[in-house]
Amino acid sequence: MKFTDILKSANVNLFRNKMRSFLTILAIFVGSFAIISVNAIHTGVNDFIDQQVESIGGDNYIEIAPTAAYDQLASMMGTGEITKYNANKSSSDATIISEEDLSKIRKIDGVISMNPYYQASVDYITTSHTDKKYNAVISLMPGGGVKADLSAGNQINSNSSDYEILISEDYAKKLGFDTPSDAVNQTATFGVKQSIKCYTVANPDDCIATLDAKIVGVQAPSILSIGGIRVNQAANDAIYNLASEGIAPDIKNRTPMATGEIDSTKLNEIRADLKKLGFTAITIDDEVGMIRTFFNVILIVFTIFGAIALIAAAIGIINTLLMSVQERTREIGLEKALGLSKGKIFLSFSIEAIMLGFWGSALGTAVAMILGFIANNIFHQSGGFLEKFPTFNLVKFTPESVAALILIVMFIAFIAGTMPARKAAKKDPIEALRYE
Amino acid sequence: MEPVIEAKHLSKIYGKGATAFLALSDINLKINHGESVAIVGKSGSGKSTLMHCLALLDTPTSGELKIDGEKASKLKSRKLNRLRNRRFGFVFQQFFMNSNETVLENVLLPLKISGTRRKHRKRLALEAIETVELADKARVKSKNLSGGQKQRVCIARAIVNNPKILFADEPTGNLDSATGEKIIKLLFDLNHDKGVTLIIVTHDEDLAALCDRRIRITDGKIVVDESIKHVTRPAARAINSKTKPANTPEAKKAKKNQKKGVRK
Ligand SMILES: Nc1ncnc2c1ncn2[C@@H]1O[C@H](COP(=O)(O)OP(=O)(O)O)[C@@H](O)[C@H]1O
Ligand SMILES: [Mg+2]
Repeated sequence: MKFTDILKSANVNLFRNKMRSFLTILAIFVGSFAIISVNAIHTGVNDFIDQQVESIGGDNYIEIAPTAAYDQLASMMGTGEITKYNANKSSSDATIISEEDLSKIRKIDGVISMNPYYQASVDYITTSHTDKKYNAVISLMPGGGVKADLSAGNQINSNSSDYEILISEDYAKKLGFDTPSDAVNQTATFGVKQSIKCYTVANPDDCIATLDAKIVGVQAPSILSIGGIRVNQAANDAIYNLASEGIAPDIKNRTPMATGEIDSTKLNEIRADLKKLGFTAITIDDEVGMIRTFFNVILIVFTIFGAIALIAAAIGIINTLLMSVQERTREIGLEKALGLSKGKIFLSFSIEAIMLGFWGSALGTAVAMILGFIANNIFHQSGGFLEKFPTFNLVKFTPESVAALILIVMFIAFIAGTMPARKAAKKDPIEALRYE
Repeated sequence: MEPVIEAKHLSKIYGKGATAFLALSDINLKINHGESVAIVGKSGSGKSTLMHCLALLDTPTSGELKIDGEKASKLKSRKLNRLRNRRFGFVFQQFFMNSNETVLENVLLPLKISGTRRKHRKRLALEAIETVELADKARVKSKNLSGGQKQRVCIARAIVNNPKILFADEPTGNLDSATGEKIIKLLFDLNHDKGVTLIIVTHDEDLAALCDRRIRITDGKIVVDESIKHVTRPAARAINSKTKPANTPEAKKAKKNQKKGVRK
């Protein structure tokens, strides 16, 4: 029997019992659909993270905190050890980075700079282009090569002693600029509440100082970079000092965190040295890694669901083919009596199984791709949660993963089909013909 | 000349132990090329079992079977399949066909199995269908045929591969006598025109009387193995007007032509 004839007859047999084949294909469809969809979302998200990480840069950026802070967190959760009191390093001091610590850290080979991190905050932002004031949350733009995704202007200079800031497109609009580039090189004014002074004045407005900073750039929307307003080290420290005016320096300067710039090629040695000093380092990669791990866990969970569906589908294939073998007993007997070889009977049923696998997975991926396309469009429409990320496709199919899935499912189907196919091939022609 | 089929001490036991049943016991026979042999006997005597063993569809429990001088037990499955497909033709007692397929599709099944090219396949199948006088039904679904027509489709299927030996199990069993006669004429035409060896299982004594030889089986044993000559020969001729002997040069040439291009 020619291969094309075997293929044809397998196809005919597949459509002989349409409902049964359809249901088997449906089961394969569900599993394939789940796996390929999750895979596509994973690819989309990871690509996006890569793209963002690329645009952020920041290989040389590092954040450090005392390891004791993590230990205390652990002890709060009941998993840490209780340690002995030491007057030089009490529990309350343990989580603080002192000036002494910083100078030790700065001496580590590969550490280029290290600054205490002060959590500065402002009360409002405004410009001369608007008579309104807006609430604002500021965050420090770290050095170490971290880049913002800009729609206009330039990156912040972290080492500059000038006060430089980046604002988002939304802020640019609110602050009276028609386009992002209109905002570049304009001056923004922050309102900073001086808490100590507020005790002495009657009118709360009287204890708010102002500070001018230059808008050097406007940030494009991005998931990873913190939106709002980003300030350079000089601006951050100036705002902090302004806000804490009147507070004793040793209280004002307590900080649990420092940020700095390192030679990223020495990251592992720096980590080891920091560990000896009792500090833990976190890089951008570590942070991105946490996000990735989160998505990977989701991927694995859904892939397991899909795999379970496929196992159920494989049992469905076995069942369908066993029924088919039973129904076609006489036909198989006749074909064997007329000289059809065992191998070709086996092949015919195997092809039937593979076809079930093919149709299920092909339809699964096709429908997933159509729905993915529609979903991407909906998310990108105005009001969609990806409206501001036109380049980000949440669902992204790669030809390799589609091909791999279809091939793997076909292979699973083939394996599932071997049992019924062997049963068919082994049938004795006389027994089969006698079968009623 | 070597016998086409030779059986020595053939026996067949169904089942095991207490339920073992001796269906064939010590069968010895030789069937020569071009012979027409009737296997007769009561129902349950072992006729079908014997035919299945001779046709290599079933394996005997003991004894030896030779096809063209070759031991059947030594045949590789590939060779066995080729034998079944190319040298043998079968007409089964129950029709055994795919009733959802057309007459043409049913008849060309052996050619499909042998891997004959599509064009040839169709031509040969249509020829076979014409031989059994069903040309107008070629595209009709088999389930819409009468019993006699179905039996003729089975014969067309059995001869489409131009077999050397045709096995027929009760070919007239389910038919009225007029249709039965048509079938008988078809079978003996093949025997006379193409030298096809006929092995016919029947309990129809009239049909048996048309054969060269009659083998009677009782309880799995051959009780009579006789040649039928001059007495019944004219009867066969009465049905079959063509009397051309099988092995004339013309017959051989015709056979050769038909064979060309059949095999893959
Ligand atoms: N597969 C089988 N298992 C057990 N007994 C069988 C089987 N096939 C046939 N027989 C028995 O063998 C005997 C011969 O059967 P069979 O050759 O079909 O007889 P016939 O064709 O002469 O009517 C019968 O008694 C039948 O019951
Ligand atoms: Mg019988």
